[in-house]
Amino acid sequence: MDALEGVFAVAWPKGGGKLTPYLLLVPAISVVGLLVIGLVYIGDSSLRTLDRTTFLFSENYSLENYRRALSEGFTYTIIWRSLFGAFVVTIITLILAFPYAYMMVRTRSALVRKALLIALFLPFFIGQVVRAYGWLIILGNQGIINDALGLIGIEPLRLLFNYPAVIFGLVQYMLPFAVLMLAPALTAIPEEMEAAAGSLGADWFQTLLHVVLPMAKPGLIGSGIVVLTLTLTDFAMPAILGGGTQDFIANAIYDQFFRTSDQGFGSALTIILVATGSLVVGIALATFGAGTLALGKSENEVR
Amino acid sequence: MGRTQTVLFRVMVTFAVVMLSAPTLVVLGASVTSGNIIQFPPDGFSLRWYNAIVGEQTLREAFIRSVQVAIICVLVSLPAGTLAGIALARYRIRGEKLIQVYLLLPFTIPLIGSGIGLMLAFGQAGVLGSLWPIGIATATINLPFMIWAVSSSAASLDPDLELAAMSCGAGPVQTFFSVTLPAVTPGVITGSLLMFILSLNEFLVSLLLVDARIVTLPVQIYNSIRSIITPDLAAVSVVFIAVALSAIIVLDRLVGLEVFLKSK
Amino acid sequence: MTTTKNVNRRQILKASAALGAVSMGGLAAPTILRAQEPPKPNEIIIRAWGGPWVAALEAGVSNPFTERTGIRVIHDLTEDNEIQPRVWAAVAQGRTPPIHINWDTTVNATKSALRGVCEDLSDLPNIAGTLDLAKPVGVEGYPIVNTYGYVYVLAYRPEAFPDGPPTSYHDLLDPRFRGRIAFYNDGIGFHFPAQIAGGGTLEGIPDNMGPCWEFVERIKEQEPLLGEDPDFVNWFQNGEIDAACTISTNALGARRNGIDVAWTVPEEGAKFDTDGLWIPRGHSEGDLYWSREYINFALTPEAQQVWLDGLGLPGVVPGLTPPEGLAGDPSYPTEPEDFERLIRISGQIQVEHESEWFSRFKQIMQG
Repeated sequence: MDALEGVFAVAWPKGGGKLTPYLLLVPAISVVGLLVIGLVYIGDSSLRTLDRTTFLFSENYSLENYRRALSEGFTYTIIWRSLFGAFVVTIITLILAFPYAYMMVRTRSALVRKALLIALFLPFFIGQVVRAYGWLIILGNQGIINDALGLIGIEPLRLLFNYPAVIFGLVQYMLPFAVLMLAPALTAIPEEMEAAAGSLGADWFQTLLHVVLPMAKPGLIGSGIVVLTLTLTDFAMPAILGGGTQDFIANAIYDQFFRTSDQGFGSALTIILVATGSLVVGIALATFGAGTLALGKSENEVR
Repeated sequence: MGRTQTVLFRVMVTFAVVMLSAPTLVVLGASVTSGNIIQFPPDGFSLRWYNAIVGEQTLREAFIRSVQVAIICVLVSLPAGTLAGIALARYRIRGEKLIQVYLLLPFTIPLIGSGIGLMLAFGQAGVLGSLWPIGIATATINLPFMIWAVSSSAASLDPDLELAAMSCGAGPVQTFFSVTLPAVTPGVITGSLLMFILSLNEFLVSLLLVDARIVTLPVQIYNSIRSIITPDLAAVSVVFIAVALSAIIVLDRLVGLEVFLKSK
Repeated sequence: MTTTKNVNRRQILKASAALGAVSMGGLAAPTILRAQEPPKPNEIIIRAWGGPWVAALEAGVSNPFTERTGIRVIHDLTEDNEIQPRVWAAVAQGRTPPIHINWDTTVNATKSALRGVCEDLSDLPNIAGTLDLAKPVGVEGYPIVNTYGYVYVLAYRPEAFPDGPPTSYHDLLDPRFRGRIAFYNDGIGFHFPAQIAGGGTLEGIPDNMGPCWEFVERIKEQEPLLGEDPDFVNWFQNGEIDAACTISTNALGARRNGIDVAWTVPEEGAKFDTDGLWIPRGHSEGDLYWSREYINFALTPEAQQVWLDGLGLPGVVPGLTPPEGLAGDPSYPTEPEDFERLIRISGQIQVEHESEWFSRFKQIMQG
């Protein structure tokens, strides 16, 4: 240990303390840097147009792909559908995730806690695609739900292949992420606070609204941002549960990369999506603060 | 907790648990069908689809490769995510919001875009064809989970403890290892487990980085599903779940699942 | 057996060329004869569709090929669409491509051919014994060899059509089929019959496709489901749909799983197209040689017979026996009159315009 401290002292002379956080960030920034290298390639192809007689891309740069993307009403349709979907999914997911995380953190029964944790982790293991097919079986015309409705004389309902089905599938997919991000924030809220509010005459709803939620805010924002961005860029749920008519932006990108071989146009759409997503994240961070990341920092400023 | 709240929360949580588990149960049920079609309730009971996959050496190899990829993913993301999580939670950083938007790129870039970009980058470097680039790729696209898991537990660390350690003569390295790191351990464990699971199940980016000699299990399942959906895929998924469940149980015996929730 | 013979012929040709070298190098001829067959790779990788598709290829081509040559065949089940950018990137970056042979739709393969990433296969000996169908349209020589044809039929559940099979796509406009018909999500296979159904002509493709889009608009009112190959089988099996424009193999797949599905070529006609095999550039001499041998073998009557029995599709060599129940079936055209009701558009026109058609179709359906 002394040797280590020695090395450290040499490598990190006095006054280097200011640099500490930036040095700690270097590995993560480098790992994400790989994606930035990828983005450079994508940015490069987004400026080249495809020649459909040779299926090669132009040597010279132009903004044609962006012009095309921004002049088609279709682009706005799917951007709006993705953004709106992302907001709705985020709100529903948080509403469901909050009681889940709360109960998981507060329950006195170790068994309940473990069961809730396992129910959270298991869905990860059947993957998004198999899971979506599971929903096809449950919600299909001859699925379990419609069979049950048939018993009480209700005609089969079309539960699948529409926008609500996609939203539902996405909420189910995002819920575990949201709960896992929210739980640590709830753990940090002392239980006595609630008891105190209760003894001062606040009913449970007031306590929730004025004590618990504000303290859980960083966790809510953190998980909200995760759910929002992951939904915005999702591909599998709209593809499978949307029946082909509910495409999100990522589906349009998929079509360009894989179906029409137009990597240039697909890249332009990718850049547009990344810009949109980053803008939304930026606005959210500016409006609500830094979420989980800032928890406790303002009060406990170190160094 | 008030009565109304208890009831309301119980209803919501029950709904969530049913919603989370329903597809898994259906897949479990569909895997024991004696028919040729995935359906629920299954058409009779048989283990024929399990028999069909037992002898499949390719599936076993694909699973082992997936585990290797997931281990590499954790080895990369654990140090990078832990340090970044501590930095973001414990220090005032200039341009912090910008850095956060940057560190969220893995989520704001659609996976197909990440996959194409990484394929071109790794391809140019001439490293495609091994497993480690896939491990790094899955670490990259999921890194925010690691960072956030750690930063949320780092934030609850009492800074006085660090100062106390320093004033007792501990150097920065010793303080880091004996005070800071233990405090964020729950976050590190949650994050690592999540990274491991997500990497183990990743198919979209991996699809662009594997070749037939090093195909991973999720990619194989995804590819098979693209052609036809047969009950053997349900059986593969169930075996996968069983392996995962035993891993979780082992973890519970070793460290206790509560570690995800309680920062000590 | 043809393969063995051809291999021998090639060996002899190569050997005689080698003899020139021998006289200079002064080596013993027999050693050279063996050495001249390029080194065998341990394995070659063929991209294939999964499920019944790969099973048919294995039985008809891959397993017999392995028996004869000792070369293991690995099947990469990545979708043809999804392997394409990987192959293109590998060729562009000068890497060894991830697969040796791509089993691909001719239209997709034509894109790769135009881009120049395909090895030339013109001198494969067995091409001599194939029908015209084997030759790709709109490209020089044989960058791809077509290996069979298929029809985008109108598949339907007889139960839903008690008065007899549908005879026209107009029949699907009946209100009772609302939400119960399906198409490919890019409309592939449907554009050309829709052109006729909308009152247009095939000559109007690609310049005057207004009638096609008008008819697609009318179909959209019926709220069709849009999907890909596995979805059709799945939807028929789960009773989600009554009719679909899909490749006959999918309908056959559902039927072989015990679902009552039939198919027809409606009065508008049906799109006929082909799939083929090709080799991406960038493989070593030995790998290339044995990949070519694989394709050459896939063109023999014996390989075609077994492979295409599994798929229920007509091959590119004369004299194949149709699988049970498919002789004379509209999805199994063999005679010139069978082709009269089928629509075949050149690969070149398709690749040049396909993306506008796809996006137009999508825009109508997603709107």
